[in-house]
Amino acid sequence: MSYNSITDRSWFQRKRAIIDTIARTTIGMGGISVIFAIVLIFFYLLWVVAPIFKSPEVTPIGEFNAPVMLAEAETKYIAIEESGQLGLRIASSGEILFFNLETGVDTSRNSIDLAEYSSISHVVEMNSEGTMLALGLDNGRVKFIGIEYRVNFVDGKREIIPSIAFPFGEEALELNYISNIHRLQATFVDGERLVLAALDTSGQLLLQSYEVEKGDDIADVAEESVTEVGMDAEYLLLDPLADWVYLANSDGQIIYYNISDIESIEQIAQQVLVKPERRVSHLRLSLGGISLLATDDTGNTVQWSLQRDDKNQYQLAEVRNFQASAAIDYLLTERRRKGLVGISTEGNILLYHTTAERQLLEEKILDRKPVLAAVAPRADMLLVKTEDEKYRSFKIDNPHPELSWQALWGKIVYEGYTEPKYIWQSSSADDDFEPKFSLAPLAFGTLKAAFYAMMIAMPLAIMGAIYTAYFMAPRMRGWVKPSIEIMEALPTVILGFLAGLWFAPIVEDNLLAILSLLFVFPAGLLLFAWGWSLAPKYVRRLVPEGWQALLLMPVVIALVWMSFVVAPLFEAVLFGGDIKAWMLRELGIGYDQRNSLVVGIAMGLAVIPTIFSITEDAIFSVPRQLTTGSLALGATPWQTLMRVVLLTASPGIFSAVMIGLGRAVGETMIVLMATGNTPVMDMSIFEGMRTLSANIAVELPESEVDSSHYRILFLAALVLFIVTFFFNTAAEVVRQRLRKRYGSM
Amino acid sequence: MSDQVLTHAIDPAILSGGVEHLKLEDEDICLKVKDLELYYGEKRALNEINLEIPRKRVTAFIGPSGCGKSTLLRCFNRMNDLVDSARVMGEIALDGDNIYAQDVDVSALRRRVGMVFQRPNPFPKSIYENVAYGLRLQGINKRHILDERVEWALKSAALWGEVSNRLNDSALGLSGGQQQRLVIARAIAIKPEVLLLDEPASALDPISTLKIEELIYELKSEYTIVIVTHNMQQAARVSDYTAFMYMGDMIEYGATDKLFTNPDKKQTEDYITGRYG
Repeated sequence: MSYNSITDRSWFQRKRAIIDTIARTTIGMGGISVIFAIVLIFFYLLWVVAPIFKSPEVTPIGEFNAPVMLAEAETKYIAIEESGQLGLRIASSGEILFFNLETGVDTSRNSIDLAEYSSISHVVEMNSEGTMLALGLDNGRVKFIGIEYRVNFVDGKREIIPSIAFPFGEEALELNYISNIHRLQATFVDGERLVLAALDTSGQLLLQSYEVEKGDDIADVAEESVTEVGMDAEYLLLDPLADWVYLANSDGQIIYYNISDIESIEQIAQQVLVKPERRVSHLRLSLGGISLLATDDTGNTVQWSLQRDDKNQYQLAEVRNFQASAAIDYLLTERRRKGLVGISTEGNILLYHTTAERQLLEEKILDRKPVLAAVAPRADMLLVKTEDEKYRSFKIDNPHPELSWQALWGKIVYEGYTEPKYIWQSSSADDDFEPKFSLAPLAFGTLKAAFYAMMIAMPLAIMGAIYTAYFMAPRMRGWVKPSIEIMEALPTVILGFLAGLWFAPIVEDNLLAILSLLFVFPAGLLLFAWGWSLAPKYVRRLVPEGWQALLLMPVVIALVWMSFVVAPLFEAVLFGGDIKAWMLRELGIGYDQRNSLVVGIAMGLAVIPTIFSITEDAIFSVPRQLTTGSLALGATPWQTLMRVVLLTASPGIFSAVMIGLGRAVGETMIVLMATGNTPVMDMSIFEGMRTLSANIAVELPESEVDSSHYRILFLAALVLFIVTFFFNTAAEVVRQRLRKRYGSM
Repeated sequence: MSDQVLTHAIDPAILSGGVEHLKLEDEDICLKVKDLELYYGEKRALNEINLEIPRKRVTAFIGPSGCGKSTLLRCFNRMNDLVDSARVMGEIALDGDNIYAQDVDVSALRRRVGMVFQRPNPFPKSIYENVAYGLRLQGINKRHILDERVEWALKSAALWGEVSNRLNDSALGLSGGQQQRLVIARAIAIKPEVLLLDEPASALDPISTLKIEELIYELKSEYTIVIVTHNMQQAARVSDYTAFMYMGDMIEYGATDKLFTNPDKKQTEDYITGRYG
C-alpha cells in the first residue's frame, strides 16, 4: 500500500489514530467529570436542603375508646411519652393508665393513693418536658408526682416501662389560706425551688415557695403571700422561672404580677388581650414562658410578649398573630420548639411556628369537638380526646417548622426583644431557647469581609500589576512576579493564624499608627517619587530605567517606622493617650480586637496574588504594536497606559477582580481565625463579622444531622454556591463581551 | 503582482525614465541626518549615516532584511527610545532643530513626525475614536472640531466613502487594508509634517496595496513621506528618492529613477537586479 493512500492501514497510522482517540476521550471525560461533579455537589446540597420546603403532614394512626377504668372517673390529663409509643392518662380517681397509642390497649395501670373521698381536680405540668406534675385535689391539697420511663430491650425488642415516682415525698401538701383550688400552677426552678400558685373561687391568690431538692420531703414554706385578685379569673399562668404570674378572664382582661419576691408581689399592669366583643378561647404561655399566646373565639391567635419600655415599665405588646378559620379550642405548645399545635372547634389541626411567623398547616382531622389534647415531646405525635369520649392519635410529620423566607432573611421580633432584628443565634444549652436563624447577618458579614479585603487588595494588586507589567525592568519583573505569585501558595490557615494571634494585637496596640499608614503610605511614596523626579540627572542616572521601585524599599521601612514612633505622640496629644477610648467616648465607635481592618488586610494579602497575577498577564499581553502605535501619535506613556493599555486589558482586569472577589467571598480560614465570628450587622471597620463560610465551618461539626440547624447550614452552603456561581457566570459573560469589544487582534 | 494594474496610478514622469529629473540640490530639506550611529548594547546597527530628506517628497529606504532601514526610520521619531539597550549618537535635524537635543519633548516630536507600522494596529475603539485619538491626546474634545477633523482625515486616507455610515463601529471589524488606511488617517489627523511608513503594505493583499500606494501618492503633496519597503517595485513606483542600505551602512542615496536605472555603486546594482538580498 502506498504511503500516501488515504486508506492507509499501516501500523503507524493505526497507532496514531488510537492515541488520538484515547487523548480525545480522556480529555473529554475529564471535562465532563468536572461538570458532573459540580452538578452533583449542587444536587446534593439541594437534596439536603429540600426537606425544609416540604409541607407538614398529619396522618391518623389510631382511634379507640378509653380503656375501662376501675371506677367511674373523669380524665383530667393526657400526655405522650418521648418515643411516641405510649399514651398517658390521669383520671380524677388517681388512676394512671399507660396505653398503646395505636390500639389503645393499656400496658400498665397505676394508682396513687389519694386521701379518702378526695379526687384530682387539677393536673399541671411543672416543667417543659411534663415529667413532673402537680395534682390539685378537691380537698385543697396538692400532690407531686413524677412520670418516669425506662427503656428495656427484651429479645432485641424495645420495651418502655413507665413508672410513677414521688419527687417530694408521697405526702400531699396542704395549702393554707385558701378554701379550695379553682386554678393551680406550679414550677420547679433550678432543681431547688418549688413555687406554687393557687387561686380559689373567692379570688384569693396564694403564692408559696419551698426550698427543696428532688427526693427530699417538702419541709417548711420559705416564702408565701396571699393576694386578693379583683377578678373572676379563668386562667392562671406562672412562668417557669417563677418571676411572673398572669391572671385572665374570658373577656381577655389580664392582670400580671412580678413575683420575683413572693413576700411583696407587685401588680404591673392590667390589659385586654382580645378585641372588643371577642372572648378568649384559650390562653397559655409559650415554651420558656417568655410570651403569652391568646386565641380568641374567631380563631385569631395573638402572641404577646413582655417588653420593657423607655421608662423601664413592663408592658405586654402584641408581636404577631395567626388567623385560623374557626375558634381554637385547644392550643398546645411544642415542648422543644417554638411551634404551636391548635385544634379548632371544627376539628381542624393548625400548625404554627412563632419565630418563623408561619402557619404551616390547617387541615380537618376530627369530626367532633376536642376535649383534651397532648402533643409528644418531639412534636411528632398528637393525642386528642373528643367529646364522644374517644381517643384519636395522629402522626405529625413537621420536621422544620422554624424555617421560612421571613425567618431566614427578614427582620423578626424575637422573644424578649422589643423590635424586629436580624439575628443569628443557632443554639444554646436550653431546650426552650428560641433559635434565631437569620442568614442576613451572615450574608452581610460575608460581603463586609469581602468588601474590606477588596478595598485593600484591589488598589495594591492592580496598581502593582500595572507598574510591573508596564514600567518595570524585565529582569526585576522576572523576580517580582513569581515572588508575588508564590504568596498564593501560602496556606490561608497560616495567614489567618498570623492575623488573629500576631497581627490583631499589634493593630490593637498601634491603631493610630496602622490607620495613619493608610494615608502616610500613598502620600509618602508620591512625595518621594516627586522628589526623585526633581533630582539632578546624574543622580537619577544612577538607577537604571525600570529599577526605581527598589528605591522605595527603604522609604517604606522608614514610613512604617516613623508611623509607629510618631503616632503614639499624636495619640497622647490629640486623643488622650488612647484612640480606642477616645473613639468610643467621642464618636461612639466600639472596637473589637478581631475586626474588619485585620481581616481586610489579611484577606487582602491572600487575594492580592490572584488579582495581581491575572491583571499583570492581561496588561503584559496587550500587543506591543498598540502601545507603540499610541506613542507614535505623540501620547505620553501615561496617556498610552490610561487610554489604550488599560482599555485593552480591561477584560482581563475585570476577570481578575471577579476571581479575587469570588475568592474573598468563599474564603474561610482567615475570617474564621481573624474575626471574632460575631454575627453582627455593622459596617464599622472596627467591628468583626461572621461569614457564611466561617459559620458553616464553626457550626456544622456540632449540629445534629438532619436537624433544622443542619439543613440551614447546608442552605447557607447552597446560597454561597449559587452566589459564587451567579457571580462567576455574570463575570464570564461580561468578560466575553468586553473581550469582543476591546480584545484586540 | 501585476504591474499592469498598478502602473496607471504612478507618476508617469518617474516611470518614463526621467523626463523630469529630480535633484536633491534643488529640494527644500526637511530632515537632515548627520553622523548618526546607533548601538543595540555593544552591537552597532547604524554606521555614520548622513542623509537629507526633502520636503513633500517620498523617500524610500530599501535593502535586505537586517540592514538597518527600519532602525533608521525609527530614529526620526525617536521610537528607538523604547528599546532599552538602544543608544544613539550623532544628530537628526528636523527643520534645523536637533531632535536628539537634551530639552526635546519626545511627545511633541512625535506629533510632528507621525508613523504607520507594518501591521495595521487600530485601537480597540470605534473608527471615529481611533481617528480622534491623537487629537484627544492634545486635549481637543470639542465635538465639532473632532467631527470635522475625523471626516477630513478619513477623506484624506481615502476611507471616508467606505466607513462614513459606521463611524461608531469597532475598528477591529474592518479589513486589513481598511485598517491600514484607518491607521494612516489616524496619523494624519493630527497634521504631522513627516509621515514615516514602515513597510505599510507588506501585510496586505495586492488590491489593498494598490490603494495604499495611490494614497501615498496623494499624500505627497502635503507631507514629507519616508517609507521603508522590501518591495523594490513599490519603491520604484511610489518614491521620488531612494536610499539603499546594507549592513547598517548607507550605500547609495539619490533620485529613484537614477538609482534604479543607473546606480553609482556595484552593490546597489547587484541588489536591485536581484543578485543578492
